[in-house]
Amino acid sequence: MMERKERKPYWRHTKWQMVASVVPFLVLIIVLPLYAASLNTEKFLGFPLGYFLSAHGIAIVAVFTVASFVNRQDAIDHWHGAHEDT
Amino acid sequence: MTVTSRTRFVNPRLGTYFGIFASSLTGLVLLLIIFEQLGTSEVVLRWCMLLGPLALYAAIGLLVHTREPLDFFAAGRRVPAGYTGLAIANTTLGATGIVAMTGTFFLIGFDALCLMIGGLAGFVIMAVMLAPFFRKFGALTVPSYLGRRFESRAVRLLSAGLISVPLLLLLAAELRMGAFAAGWLVGKPESLMVMMLVLAIVVTVVMGGMRSLTWSGSAQAIAAILALIVPVAIVAVMVTNFPLPQLTNGPLLRALVHNEAAQGVPIVDASGLTFLLPGEGFASVAKRFTAPFGNVSPLAFVVAMLTVMAGVAAAPWLLPRVTMTPGVYETRKSLGWATVFFGLIMLTAAAISVYMRDFVMDIVKNGPPTSLPEWMRQLTELGFARVNANTGSLSFTSFEFGRDSVLLSLPVAAGLPNVFLYFAAAGIVAAALVAAGAAAVTLANVLCEDVVNGLSWEPLPREARLWLARLAIVGVAVFGGFITILAPTDPLRLVLWCLALTGSTLFPVLVLSIWWKRMNAFGAMAGLACGFAVAVLTILAGEANILGIDGALAGLLGLPAGALGVVLASVATPGPGRGMLELVRELRIPGGEVVYDREMRLLRLKNRERD
Repeated sequence: MMERKERKPYWRHTKWQMVASVVPFLVLIIVLPLYAASLNTEKFLGFPLGYFLSAHGIAIVAVFTVASFVNRQDAIDHWHGAHEDT
Repeated sequence: MTVTSRTRFVNPRLGTYFGIFASSLTGLVLLLIIFEQLGTSEVVLRWCMLLGPLALYAAIGLLVHTREPLDFFAAGRRVPAGYTGLAIANTTLGATGIVAMTGTFFLIGFDALCLMIGGLAGFVIMAVMLAPFFRKFGALTVPSYLGRRFESRAVRLLSAGLISVPLLLLLAAELRMGAFAAGWLVGKPESLMVMMLVLAIVVTVVMGGMRSLTWSGSAQAIAAILALIVPVAIVAVMVTNFPLPQLTNGPLLRALVHNEAAQGVPIVDASGLTFLLPGEGFASVAKRFTAPFGNVSPLAFVVAMLTVMAGVAAAPWLLPRVTMTPGVYETRKSLGWATVFFGLIMLTAAAISVYMRDFVMDIVKNGPPTSLPEWMRQLTELGFARVNANTGSLSFTSFEFGRDSVLLSLPVAAGLPNVFLYFAAAGIVAAALVAAGAAAVTLANVLCEDVVNGLSWEPLPREARLWLARLAIVGVAVFGGFITILAPTDPLRLVLWCLALTGSTLFPVLVLSIWWKRMNAFGAMAGLACGFAVAVLTILAGEANILGIDGALAGLLGLPAGALGVVLASVATPGPGRGMLELVRELRIPGGEVVYDREMRLLRLKNRERD
């Protein structure tokens, strides 16, 4: 169980981790499809690049975002002693 | 301090059991393929393909019957991350997502991505901002969480009443889509199939509640994914010699782009808040596949994406699924798995639509054909497509497809044996059962815990509680069946409204209940009421064409309204007391005892002292 004096640092750390995970992802998913038309002239693995990045690319980035969040947040939990008992 | 040994109760034989299920399903399909080649009648094959898997799901659901409330409402908190993620992804998609998205990708190409990206973003937001804290709180339903968090019965009752509306919409949509597939499969009317699906849900889920729903749902999800992936993988090998359709449709897509340009498929440009998703009924290819923003304008694309994101993240039929994981760490991981499965299924749906478009464009590639290919004739006979010969010579506009028939058209277009077509239909039924079952059980739990028992913080005595919940499941499922039969509506439209309503009502309230300490019960009630009211009004105005905003974009007005309601009402009323602040601080820390479990433990002690 975590000490009382760790509570504020833990929450500050968690809050910034949330911002770091969510904000770049949101910016990407809003901005990338807007450029898809011009990216479609290039190709990758045979796909028009704009479509490929918007569909496959964002799917991969989403998985990566959640995976990195899980690992980072677990490290934060252990650093401050806020983790669950196994 | 309690020592929680989180994974000691997880069943180590889960992989074996689901391996047995997957093998049984594969065996059934292979047997039916053999029988088809041997000349067995179509009727027998179709009924076997529908009833065989249903019997398997019901067997799984009935075998895990239970009389323990924690098992009934939270599957004993023993569901590992992978299975939870599978359940969450498939419940979000449902039959509507798989079928309607394939058709929408086929008809309008790139623009359908707003729904896929919205779903993925919803899982990311849920993983980071909502699910771990919900799991730490441990409440069995969302109104339960809201009521206990704000120590207010009014919040509990209000949220229970408001979320029943989107849950009923979702139930109706999934039952309709499942009945469409089942009705086509066995040739019976859709209303009869709705009642049959209701019976299937009730039989599968009633004895074990969430425990039955989880394990039979995992089986149904495996069946749906197999039914989706196997035919298109075979087509991928036939067309490109490599079985990964999601990756190999690249060169096919480029050839399609050239083909479309050669035949003059239009590049359309949408402006303002245009949001023209294809409805039910026949439509021809509207625009080039990879050209963005033809039927959906850029602004509508972003708004739809954010609305779907908020709806999925705050979904009251998805959030309680995370309370069934062994711990907060597994909850976070389960959402990673949900993102993986969701992305995989959506990319497969897109691949199917690319192959279908390619087949269709090939017909008119070298000018109008002398005669239609055999598979086009079969599709017309089956009622999946229509050939419009009014335009004189045949071009790509002459071929019209039903949006919901594109998924079923692929095995026919590729010339696969009929059993693959039936397997695809059975997979759609399985996906419908996952989502409809989740909606029905969630609504039943809300009714029994938060409406009937809403004025008391103590749960009902064990037997009464379980039998009330079972009765509620039967009642909700039958009621949902009646609504579906009496008022059939486009399932995709219903699901989008459901997500818009859920996002506007719950998303600001749930997020701020965790991330803003100043929020109080008045803020919660104001947020729920404002968000819901504005979203409903926007949807109605959209249907009556007053505002020019399509109903699916209701989050544009609903989300800010909900957030404003929360903030203004919380700031204008007295702040939360020390007890509530301590609760929030506890909620934010993964370690320590689960809040709901501690309340139940203290209640048991208190009741024991009283005796």
